[in-house]
Amino acid sequence: MNGPIRRVAAGIFLCLSALLVGVTWYQVVRADELRDDPRNPRPALFERGKERGLIVTVDGTVLGRSIEDPDDPRSFVREYPEGEAFAHLVGYSSFLIGNSGLEATYSSELRSRRDLTISDLVAALLGSDLRPKSIEVTADPELQRAAQAALGANRGAIVALDPATGAVLASVSNPTFDPELLLGNDASTQWDQLLATEGEPIRDRATQELYAPGSTFKTVVAAAALDTGAAGPGTTFDDPAEFQLPGSDATISNASREPCNDGQTATLLQAVVRSCNTIFAQLAIQLGAVDIGITAQALGFNEDIGYEWDVPEAVWNTSELAQDPAALGQSGIGERDVRATPLHMAMVAAAIANDGVAVSPHAVRRVFDADGGTVEEIEVTELGRAMTSDSATTLTQMMERVVTEGTGRQAAVPGVRVAGKTGTATGSGEFPNPWFIGFAPLEDPSIAIAVFIEGTAVSGESASGGSSAAPIASELIDLWLSS
Amino acid sequence: MGRTSEGVTIVAASLLSAFAVALVNFAQGAGVDAQIGLTFVVFLIAFGTLYAAVRGFAPRATPLLIPPVVALVGLGFFEIYRLSPDLAGLQRWWMLIASAVATLVLFLLSKGTTSVLRRYRNLILIVTIGLLLLPNLPSDWGFPLRGLEVNGSRLWIVLDLRFTEMQFQPAELAKLGMVIFFAAYLADHQKALREAHRRLGPIRLPEPRQLIPLLLAWGGSLFILVWQRDLGASLLMFAGFVLLLYAATGSTGYLVTGGLLTFSGAVAAAVLFDHVQRRIVAWLEPFEHYQDEGFQIAQGIFALGTGSLSGAGPGLGRPDLIPNASTDFIFAAVGEEIGFAGTVAVLAIYALVITVGLGVSFRSRDTFRKLLAAGLTFVMAVQVFLIIGGVLRIVPLTGITLPFMSYGGSALVGNMVLVAILLRISHEEAA
Repeated sequence: MNGPIRRVAAGIFLCLSALLVGVTWYQVVRADELRDDPRNPRPALFERGKERGLIVTVDGTVLGRSIEDPDDPRSFVREYPEGEAFAHLVGYSSFLIGNSGLEATYSSELRSRRDLTISDLVAALLGSDLRPKSIEVTADPELQRAAQAALGANRGAIVALDPATGAVLASVSNPTFDPELLLGNDASTQWDQLLATEGEPIRDRATQELYAPGSTFKTVVAAAALDTGAAGPGTTFDDPAEFQLPGSDATISNASREPCNDGQTATLLQAVVRSCNTIFAQLAIQLGAVDIGITAQALGFNEDIGYEWDVPEAVWNTSELAQDPAALGQSGIGERDVRATPLHMAMVAAAIANDGVAVSPHAVRRVFDADGGTVEEIEVTELGRAMTSDSATTLTQMMERVVTEGTGRQAAVPGVRVAGKTGTATGSGEFPNPWFIGFAPLEDPSIAIAVFIEGTAVSGESASGGSSAAPIASELIDLWLSS
Repeated sequence: MGRTSEGVTIVAASLLSAFAVALVNFAQGAGVDAQIGLTFVVFLIAFGTLYAAVRGFAPRATPLLIPPVVALVGLGFFEIYRLSPDLAGLQRWWMLIASAVATLVLFLLSKGTTSVLRRYRNLILIVTIGLLLLPNLPSDWGFPLRGLEVNGSRLWIVLDLRFTEMQFQPAELAKLGMVIFFAAYLADHQKALREAHRRLGPIRLPEPRQLIPLLLAWGGSLFILVWQRDLGASLLMFAGFVLLLYAATGSTGYLVTGGLLTFSGAVAAAVLFDHVQRRIVAWLEPFEHYQDEGFQIAQGIFALGTGSLSGAGPGLGRPDLIPNASTDFIFAAVGEEIGFAGTVAVLAIYALVITVGLGVSFRSRDTFRKLLAAGLTFVMAVQVFLIIGGVLRIVPLTGITLPFMSYGGSALVGNMVLVAILLRISHEEAA
């Protein structure tokens, strides 16, 4: 009888071998594929409920924290006490749709290392701290909230920087959203709804969208002129009512449809103060695409300016414009194909304020551990000198006149010396996009700002940088300097 | 290996179970609590009792059987604890009950020999059939013993003790009764069954008259399948019978006929019954039917794949996403948390238990004991293959428990009694 039993036994062990092949197939051969299958909820759920570090401002305002889940004491839920105003900067950490903003940039620091992998366990045994790290954000909560409120029903973005360090004092985009909506099980539905919402609140207009900078770009052209010695504040130009672009039927006129000065000659200073397109088109063609390009490049155009996440590169197309004087004339007033993010234009203002030295913007000051000890200090990264110190001083003087007697009068702050430049760029539709960039106080600038409004029916057809963006800059500079 | 090292190994396996519970605790932030100590103590008491019973009532039994069984119970237990500490608490009670019942069985068998079982085979058959019929008792009558329908299958009975309700799956014990009856019946009729043949080419066909028991067993299995919708128990009993019939007679004809009957029964069931059809669909195309029929199998496979080589770690995976993780899918749950390393270990331990069981059968001189040991081992092995094979999509999922590892009182009691009988046979044959 042992014969047949032995044969059955052989069959049984054959079956067990089949099981061994089965587990090898799923746990070894196809393991990665199965883990990454979009229908497998495990990798995403793995992050869910884990404690993450704090996101706080320098003054201790909590922007993001993990609190114990009231329904399950073993897990955590993320909370964003400052909500909408910080939605684009801080971002969210959603187990369903991933991370964004600083939550994404500092994800590996903010994540708890407890019980992740065997190598983490080894690290813990060797004395590493597995608790989540926290980050300190440079933004000022009061300024940030005020900036968000100042945009009101307008679409747009505001970025304020510390000119010397590049630290973000405020970075808002409007419309915005409640990041806590994206944390739950219905995150995908909420996400789809946000995408379908008028004005696309999910878009970060401050750092992720390129716009024509309009006349604010004249600061770059003026800097190039000063640096090369091609022109000074008193240099005179022809002052036609319309400037005929060379080799083209197109003309360029001023916003007022009048000559810049008296119809005979106008100075560079007058052109800056009154934002004269006719003069800057001439100047740009006179300087050439290459010389403007050198200054623009020094100010981070066509380059990665370095930020907590990838910012689309600002555009100044030197090689193309060198072949096309008409396009160069239009580009000299920040139109045609010139593009920059509001963050970038804030950086341009900051460079002028910082004696001509451009500094890479950043939003996080330091990473610290659960005991409060600094783990990593974010260093100030200079992009380099964008213009000579003298050029910066001269440009600042001209920009101050913009605020005291020119297009930027509404940016004035009582008792404070403010420098600025307005812009009213062609928008995507019938509505212009108002801009204002500037900085204050001139004795020792502590804030550089860019206000951008995306033209809509709310801002109106007649909106201009001077009427729509400058007052917001005034309000925020006043708030910053009085606190 | 002697009795002492067996005892040491049992203590070590109990410690390991408590350690796994501690790991789950730490992973889930519960830290050190009473569960760890309680697990160790209950393992010690349950298997210590069994160990003592073996020393008392079957001292010459193989020392190789209890340690791997403790390891399997421990591997299942930590996963049950991870999935539901409440179920784990109940499972601990069942471990104590199961070891008490196994001890009682060892004690009773020591009063005579296992041949007693052969003598009372007809009584055992009647009791077994009675057990199988119990779940068909009405669910709503006043009597404290009631049938219960769970997920469309009728395999449960409820014993209402007024202060508490106990649920039981009689099929888990009926399985043993059937094997005992088969072994006794075949031992008695072995000669006749072996010698009655017609030849058809190279295959020796059994006499039609000798096919009657086979057909009866087949009919009984189909009855379970149809009336109680218990695919697993149905297949298990028929497979156990056919394998034992083959072991007793060495006649390939029975194996072929049995295989054909199984196949035709399965095809007929697949055509006729919705619940079988759904299983087939889930088996062949789990990912195409991810939202409904295939969800459980797909989740099981995701669990295994995500577990990969070393697993997420006890308490760190998400086996709770798999429906019925603590019973039918305990293997996938274990695979997610302790990985390929763990699943291979589980398969190796089953291989060891099966080897020891078959070894007991090989060494038996008495026909009945030989067939009984073989039958018990076959049934356990088939059960392991059916359920793990179901999880791994090698066969359709039949919805039976994984011996020793799944949560379930009746299963644990049944399997511990199975172990007790094997131990006793091993003792008697070592004499």
